[in-house]
Amino acid sequence: MKRNPLNNRFLRDLRDDLGKYVVIALLMIFTIGFVSGFLVADGSMVRAYNESFTKYNVEDGNFRIQRRMNKAQWKSIEGLGLYLYELFYREFELDNGSTLRVYQNRDQVDLVCLMEGEFPKKPGEIAIDRMYAENNGLKVGDTIRAAAAGDEEPKPGESWQITGLVALSDYSTMFSDNNDTMFDALGFGVAVVTPEEFAQYPEDTLYFNYAWKYADPPKTEAEENDRGEDLVKDLSKEIRLENYIPRYANQAIRFAGEDMGSDRAMMELLLYIMMVIIAFVFGVTISNTISQEAPVIGTLRAMGFTKGELVRHYMAMPLIVTLLSALVGNILGYTVLKNVCAGMYYNSYSLTKYVTVWNADAFVRTTVFPIVIMAVVTWGVLRWSLGLTPLQFLRRQLRRRQMKRAFPLSVRIPFFDRFRMRVIAQNLPNYLILLVGIFFANILLIFGLALPQALDHYQEVVENNLLSKHQYIMQIPLDAMDEDHKLVSAFRMMEFVSETETENETAEKFSAYVLRTPTDSPYHKEDVMVYGVQAGSRYVSGVPASEGFMQKGSAAETYPEVLISKAYSDKYDVFAGDRIELQEKYGEERYTFLVKGVYDYQASICVFMEQKALNKCFDLGKDYFSGYFSDTPITDIDVKYIGSQINLESLTKVSRQLKISMGSMMYLVDFFAVAIFMVLIYILSKIIIEKNAQSISMAKILGYTGGEIGKLYIRSTTVVYLVCFVATIPAVSALIRYLMKVMIRLEMTGWIELYVGNKVYVQMLALGVLSYAVVAFFEYRKINKVPMDEALKNTE
Amino acid sequence: MFLEIKQIKKAFGQGDSRVEVLRGINLSLKKGEFCVLLGPSGSGKSTLLNIIGGIDSADSGEIVIDGEPMSHMKEKQLTMYRRKHLGYIFQMYNLIPNLTVRENIEVGAYLSDKALDVDELLRLLGLWEHRGKVPSQLSGGQQQRTAIGRAVVKNPDILLCDEPTGALDYKTSKEILKLIEQVNKTYGNTIIMVTHNDAIKFMADTVVRLRDGAIRDTVRNERRVSAEELEW
Repeated sequence: MKRNPLNNRFLRDLRDDLGKYVVIALLMIFTIGFVSGFLVADGSMVRAYNESFTKYNVEDGNFRIQRRMNKAQWKSIEGLGLYLYELFYREFELDNGSTLRVYQNRDQVDLVCLMEGEFPKKPGEIAIDRMYAENNGLKVGDTIRAAAAGDEEPKPGESWQITGLVALSDYSTMFSDNNDTMFDALGFGVAVVTPEEFAQYPEDTLYFNYAWKYADPPKTEAEENDRGEDLVKDLSKEIRLENYIPRYANQAIRFAGEDMGSDRAMMELLLYIMMVIIAFVFGVTISNTISQEAPVIGTLRAMGFTKGELVRHYMAMPLIVTLLSALVGNILGYTVLKNVCAGMYYNSYSLTKYVTVWNADAFVRTTVFPIVIMAVVTWGVLRWSLGLTPLQFLRRQLRRRQMKRAFPLSVRIPFFDRFRMRVIAQNLPNYLILLVGIFFANILLIFGLALPQALDHYQEVVENNLLSKHQYIMQIPLDAMDEDHKLVSAFRMMEFVSETETENETAEKFSAYVLRTPTDSPYHKEDVMVYGVQAGSRYVSGVPASEGFMQKGSAAETYPEVLISKAYSDKYDVFAGDRIELQEKYGEERYTFLVKGVYDYQASICVFMEQKALNKCFDLGKDYFSGYFSDTPITDIDVKYIGSQINLESLTKVSRQLKISMGSMMYLVDFFAVAIFMVLIYILSKIIIEKNAQSISMAKILGYTGGEIGKLYIRSTTVVYLVCFVATIPAVSALIRYLMKVMIRLEMTGWIELYVGNKVYVQMLALGVLSYAVVAFFEYRKINKVPMDEALKNTE
Repeated sequence: MFLEIKQIKKAFGQGDSRVEVLRGINLSLKKGEFCVLLGPSGSGKSTLLNIIGGIDSADSGEIVIDGEPMSHMKEKQLTMYRRKHLGYIFQMYNLIPNLTVRENIEVGAYLSDKALDVDELLRLLGLWEHRGKVPSQLSGGQQQRTAIGRAVVKNPDILLCDEPTGALDYKTSKEILKLIEQVNKTYGNTIIMVTHNDAIKFMADTVVRLRDGAIRDTVRNERRVSAEELEW
């Protein structure tokens, strides 16, 4: 087979137009490298995560009871087809303000992966979670102290020396409570100590948690769910459960795995968007080359070169550059960038060690797919561009619709402005690509800049917008509801009621009931707290009166009127006059509420109604209450009756964690956005200058200065760039908010509005202008370098 | 006859602005014949050349090359026809700027199954010394010689030359004409040359004079004058 001599052009094209190819290749290398690194890290870590279930013998579920189980109960429960394991823990408030959940080191279930250092060997030593350590600036050799130790010399069990950093296989994500919206690897950590030390902890400080493994493991997820649901009923007959979390519902185990899957889709989408943009940039450069080489193409076609041969010839360089970029990108991905991406996961999750595995799928997606995208786009552009007849190429009649005459411009418009308008008209297709590119780049930029600020804004709003500075949720003692011992339980209840009265003047009772979004909702299911507040409450005002509902009788006859939080309204687009349907958290019963208004509360998805109505609606009894709103700490209630506190720290857990885990990612997104700007502007202004090289040269001969010529050709691009930049911002802002809303609805509980403050727009503009200025500087220099004899060459 | 042109008509535009560029051209050429198309601007000579070359189409009429009619050919077949039978030389050289002289000629050779020896051709064209240069390093005459090499190396049945000396000075023009003459003699290609230059008619076998899209006269020279002897 003969070698096509046109192929000799490739290397020379590369050399002659090195700037263009290097810029495009760099963008591709970083995009492909980063995505490849991400997919490889993701694939390897997902694999390690999946294998960890076997490798570290991860539990099938766990439950907590108030007291240590006796032998009979143990035997009876194991008779349900389970293996039981004690997984007791104790929680310490540390002097750094965080909570550390301490287990004794495990040797049977939920085994611990040692990441650094060694396991504790004697009392006073501890191995703490790696990510918790990093987030709190702790390292092997450091000493941590319980807050209880105060300033005094810590007693045994109040201070530990860190011997190792570990990952607990049942805590890949730091959820202290499975009901939490978001994990918190800053304020919560886990650790293991020696059995000897753990044995010294007083019984009343321990949480009696048990893990189980099925003797006959379920084979499918559906079977696992069914067995989980049956098991809770069977267990309830034997013991009084404080907590029950089958593995499939355990966020601390499952969240990381699910999140890693969803990130992957986002990264792939980023790759494809970037590749389409780059392919169109190549398309524009190809069109320009074709325009420059029109007579040569005409001659080649006249000589007998087929259109297909020329299409393949002009496609070759983009494909070669894409292939090389993909290969280099993949090498970078497998070496340097993989670690960067794995680091991003290690910033968010406490994952066990992983081994890099060859990922054929990632290779296909980061090599074959970009080449296919490039091939399809360039093929389309070339088929269109080379669709003219040889004669049209020879005559340089490259427009399908010839412009009959120049569009009229008033002579009152200054000459330079008219000139610039004509430059813009001449390059409209190029500017269209610029517009599309800027649109995508702005999406990335606004996201990268706005998210960290939105998280800050969220914290600010929550802080200024608390229902009360403190919310206490009471915990009714289990024996106050023991139906087998009614007398004792009645006494306990009375005791509870009297012990939970407070003299704090700012305290106000409320009822609360947790429902969830319906199981058939298309969105991510989440808990919805329904507050019952007193009529005329000082903390939640404007709650609809309950008389109507109370008089009508049962909930079946009429719908209770409620306010919903602003977070609820914003997330689900529910407004006054709408009806909402919620479902029992652990049941099928559904409740419908009539929304009378939106309460300005952004911290959680919740509903407010009158306390009387809530107690009636859920059949809780007239005097029932769940807790207190208070603006000052309540100090006269025994902590054993306080189940949980909702305060600023707990409400801003989501935003704090998102900031930690996504912070580095946002810089990367900004980097890509700026890179797109620069590449686009560089390529397009380069094309414009090349296209007009003869005119520029002639203008120089006529006596125009480089600065004046720059004003004519560069300033046109400046104007279009700025117009495109500013014009796309409202659309981009609306789009990103919409996408964020969809993503949060589908993926997350809770609500954080993607607040785009003025600061973001200023930053965007600054980055956009700065990127442009850098490129424009080089383009000005390029104009100065256009030789004057250019005008005298190739004149036809 | 090797090339038969029958009743070729071509018009541009519509209505009042309709211009008939060719009004029924008939012409027959033998293999190896050297034909010069003469005429003023707008007489239709370049259009006729482009139709023969298959890069433009006639409104009616037929062109038959070596017994093969062109009128029914689709785009792909026309490309193959050009590839197989034709060599093109234009007034502008249209060389590929980042290929050397040799490589530009090889571009032509690539298309042919019966390509001539490139080295031999480079010597014949007087380009051997310049074979490694790119077009921007050559004079106009050298560039045109390269373009001729690119067209001739295919060893085409027909060599179509559209004002090949139009952009050259007297001396270089004569060199180019000598070269075309030599190619015709050496390889026996049929040559159709469009020119404004009346003097060139003497080196042709057949001279076709066009005016307003019609053949004014066709003259067959008894004796061809060598390019060396031409004066203008």
